[in-house]
Amino acid sequence: MQGASTGIVYGGLKYQARCIADVRADPDHTSFLAGTLSLKEENEVHLIRLSPSGNELLCEGLFYHQNEIWDLKSCPYDSRILSTVYTSGETYGASVWKIPEISSQSNSPQLDQLVSLDDHTAKIKSVLWWPLGKHDKLVTIDERNIFVWSIDSSNKIAKVISQESVGMLHNLSGGAWDPHDRNAVAAICDSSLQCWDLRTMKNANAIEHAHIRDVDYNPKKQHILATAEDEFGIRLWDLRMPKIPLKELPGHSHWTWAVRHNPEYDGLILSAGTDSTVNLWQVSVGSEDPAIDSPRDKRSRQIDPLLNSYTDYEDSIYGIAWSSQDPSVFASLSYDGRVVVESVKPYIQRK
Amino acid sequence: MAGVSSPPPMDEKAKRTRDLLASFYTNTSNSNSAAPSSPSAASNLTPRSPSSLDSINSPSFDASSYMSLLVQKSNLEGLLQKHVQMAAEIKNLDTDLQMLVYENYNKFISATDTIKRMKSNILGMETNMEQLLAKITSVQSKSDSVNTSLFEKREHIEKLHRSRNLLRKVQFIYDLPSRLNKCIKAEAYADAVRFFTGAKPIFEAYGDSSFQECKRASEEAINTVIQNLQEKLYSDSEPIEARAEAVVLLKQLNFPVDNLKTSLLEKLEDCLLKLEDESKDVSVGEISKTFRAYLIIFPDSEQRLIELAQGLFSRRYDAVRDQLKKRMLSVDLLELLGIIWEDVSTVDQVLPEAALPAYSLESTCSSIRQHISIAFSHLQHEISDAVAGSQSKSNEGRDELDLQIVLENSKKAAMQGSLDLLVELRQFFDEKLELLPKLRELITDWVQEGFQGFFQNLEKHFILLSGSSTNNCPLGESNHSGVLTQSPDKLPTGLVLVLSQLAVFIEQSVIPKITEEIAASFSGGGVRAYEYGPAFIPGEICRLFRSAGEKLLHLYINMKTRKISVVSKKRFTTPNWIKHKEPREVHMFVDILLQELEGVKIEVKQILPCGVIKRHRNSDSVGSGSTNSSRSHPNAMREDKLTRSNTQRARSQFLESHLAKLFEQKMEIFTKVEYTQESVISTVIKLCLKSLQEFVRLQTSNRSGYQQIQLDMEFLKAPLKQLVDDDDAAIDFLLKEVNNAAHERCLDPIPLEAPILDKLISAKLVKNKDLSASPL
Repeated sequence: MQGASTGIVYGGLKYQARCIADVRADPDHTSFLAGTLSLKEENEVHLIRLSPSGNELLCEGLFYHQNEIWDLKSCPYDSRILSTVYTSGETYGASVWKIPEISSQSNSPQLDQLVSLDDHTAKIKSVLWWPLGKHDKLVTIDERNIFVWSIDSSNKIAKVISQESVGMLHNLSGGAWDPHDRNAVAAICDSSLQCWDLRTMKNANAIEHAHIRDVDYNPKKQHILATAEDEFGIRLWDLRMPKIPLKELPGHSHWTWAVRHNPEYDGLILSAGTDSTVNLWQVSVGSEDPAIDSPRDKRSRQIDPLLNSYTDYEDSIYGIAWSSQDPSVFASLSYDGRVVVESVKPYIQRK
Repeated sequence: MAGVSSPPPMDEKAKRTRDLLASFYTNTSNSNSAAPSSPSAASNLTPRSPSSLDSINSPSFDASSYMSLLVQKSNLEGLLQKHVQMAAEIKNLDTDLQMLVYENYNKFISATDTIKRMKSNILGMETNMEQLLAKITSVQSKSDSVNTSLFEKREHIEKLHRSRNLLRKVQFIYDLPSRLNKCIKAEAYADAVRFFTGAKPIFEAYGDSSFQECKRASEEAINTVIQNLQEKLYSDSEPIEARAEAVVLLKQLNFPVDNLKTSLLEKLEDCLLKLEDESKDVSVGEISKTFRAYLIIFPDSEQRLIELAQGLFSRRYDAVRDQLKKRMLSVDLLELLGIIWEDVSTVDQVLPEAALPAYSLESTCSSIRQHISIAFSHLQHEISDAVAGSQSKSNEGRDELDLQIVLENSKKAAMQGSLDLLVELRQFFDEKLELLPKLRELITDWVQEGFQGFFQNLEKHFILLSGSSTNNCPLGESNHSGVLTQSPDKLPTGLVLVLSQLAVFIEQSVIPKITEEIAASFSGGGVRAYEYGPAFIPGEICRLFRSAGEKLLHLYINMKTRKISVVSKKRFTTPNWIKHKEPREVHMFVDILLQELEGVKIEVKQILPCGVIKRHRNSDSVGSGSTNSSRSHPNAMREDKLTRSNTQRARSQFLESHLAKLFEQKMEIFTKVEYTQESVISTVIKLCLKSLQEFVRLQTSNRSGYQQIQLDMEFLKAPLKQLVDDDDAAIDFLLKEVNNAAHERCLDPIPLEAPILDKLISAKLVKNKDLSASPL
């Protein structure tokens, strides 16, 4: 129940929006990319930058994007490359774009399309970059298949290296690429989370019986990931023990839509929900040493893991992103197109 | 002569005489040392000094120099005087000398006389002595002769005396069998044994030869004695003292008493075992008597007896514990314990060393403790039976589970069960058992601990029953280790609600009541260390159940909405909305939705109380962590936003609609859930509508799809409002939100015209009426 907003608001998105992404490859600024979702109007991609003083969000660039954006990722090694997944009516597609040199005469130029990832036969759900740096591969997930692309952005070539179908019975809806292992991708299926090995293109491991909306790997600890789920809110898993979750967090009053680990502070988790709140959690994943669970520890663990609930939103929130440049800052995007950047510093110091 | 007693001047004179004598005798050797004793030499002057000339007595006296000095110094008169004086002195000396001589002479004469007398006395003694010697010699010879003459006779007499003694002994031995028999007849076994043991050495020495017959006979007799003694020992009717004596006698006869003892004790043990089998045939009083007897008879058997007694009682307490495994009433337990305690005290009087009371106290403690814990687990079982038992019943036949009855039953089970238990346990205090006052504090603690544990377990059990996942619940850490205990089949959702309501009931009614009762009768009990505080902490339990209740309520809502959500998901993901056909009627999905909601309403109506009907209030949202309000800062925020945005583009339709919405009444969707029918139903409906909105937002539809959604929502309006009595505004708002979402996600958003809408809805209503009218 924050009375006044502590966040910095960016109201430049004039349409509904779902996607926001941290520009990881920009080492100097806290920047985010946000894409709009408007069925009827021409959509936009905004490059938003936190002003050096840290109290204002500036629009560094505004680029037209023909179709409504359902997924947007920034290339982790080139700040000017991004990928989008878009639909228009019944058609769908995914592309890798390059942000053009900002020229003064045009304040809303078109994005240069580097490659179009258009071998898909089903509705594309998401494009994944390997999150930690330069890697010449891309993973795309559509409802039925997983594709691995070899991408050469300078020559504007993208080739499908391998492709695997999950079968007609399953519906893929998204996924995440393991930052600790370039060959592992977690794909969200109807009622399970499937971990794919990209070398064999086989489903190596799975968390069953979980209706997952979003998944995020812990960037600090291998095998640990967080899921946003239909039934349980947020759950933390150790992929080596896919039967039992490590932790459960209550999540949100309505759907928990997205979950993100902080890139720097271990155990700090952000979640966004359709109840128009963003929740900040502090969880210690004691997977390494569950033996030291003394009763005192248990007592202390009963401290509410919810550090703060940001409630100053007016619509469902589908997009959250930590800034990798300043890990105490995150941006959230509510459906009404409002970007709010908040600092979690007060809560980090508290622990 | 010394005998002449002279006056003091004479004494002076005598002294001088003695000095003179002494100086005479010791002249040569001791001339110097004698000088100091003379009065004239007191000055001790050197001869040369003028004054030393005076000392006539000193050996260095020089008469001529003295003379010349005197002549020189003195005048005539002086000289004359000196002369006179000197003449007088000389005269004196003269008389002195005479006296000395006389004296010595006198002594010599008397000595001579004495010697003469002695000589005459000794002459007669010699003859007397000789006479005496002769007489003594004659006496000695006479006594020798007497001695020799009497020696032979004395020898003879002594011999005779010995034979007589021997004869007497022989006689005794020959008489022994008959005497023993006599003793046996008279039952004077002690005498018999004494006789026999007396004769025993002889039998041992000569038994094989001279007294063979006699020995046999007496041994026979003594065997009889032994037999008799044994009989006596075995017979319980004999007085204990007699039996003890018998044992002593047998021991004296070198009879193996230990065997007897063990056999007797074994008999006793058998007897004790029998006592358990046949319960009350042999009273403990008798047994205690036996104990006492044996204690006296075999003083060394105490250890064994203690073991036996302890064995007896430990078996009895085991039996009690066995019985405890089945549920038994406190009264019965008390009765049992009372009986045992009485027995214990009886035996204790006899065998204080066995420490039976301590043992018994301990066992009683553990029994009571066990009883209490069993009682609590039983109670828990009853309550869970009341909840879950109905489930199995419903599985068997009836489809419609009467939740109200279940709730009432389980409430009753919880309240009445706990109260009954308390009343029952209070009997421990009412009972006038000697043992219990000591345990009062302990029992109090146990009861309090029992309740604490009971409620904690109950809460755990509820959570488990409800089948909600365990990792987060405060008590579920036990599962953290990895065993995710999934309840085999989840409860019907209605029962989750029952559990939730039961938790509330326990928190609000049972625990205060129990606290009161405990304060009334089980207060105190400070045996536990004070730092732990009282065992029963109602506050903690209340908190536990409050959170459990909320959790279960949320779980219920969650389960319900999930169910509806699955239906909705199917509804919205299956059709191709872009190629949707024109709406002909209200979609079936609405029926399912309403049916589910109706089900919720039926369940909720049975269990939850009717809430106070409230108009929608803004303050509702305050105080709940998960509440959410849309549009909290209508104007200021938006203006802020507008000024900040650096891309001032033309107002789009989107912005317009948004701005319009901003000025509408602020609407809460996720208010805190209360334990009322209205609150639960409206929460479920709100969550469902919100889900619908979200589902719609994920689709893209053509005009017909939009119209279909419009139609469905329009149709839902009335029945939903019927379901929710108090929160019309929220429902309206959410339905509109769904509509808006569909509008936004529609490529060609042209709504249905109102007449067509009405027509389709009324057609649906008619159809529904027909369906319900037609027999199922």
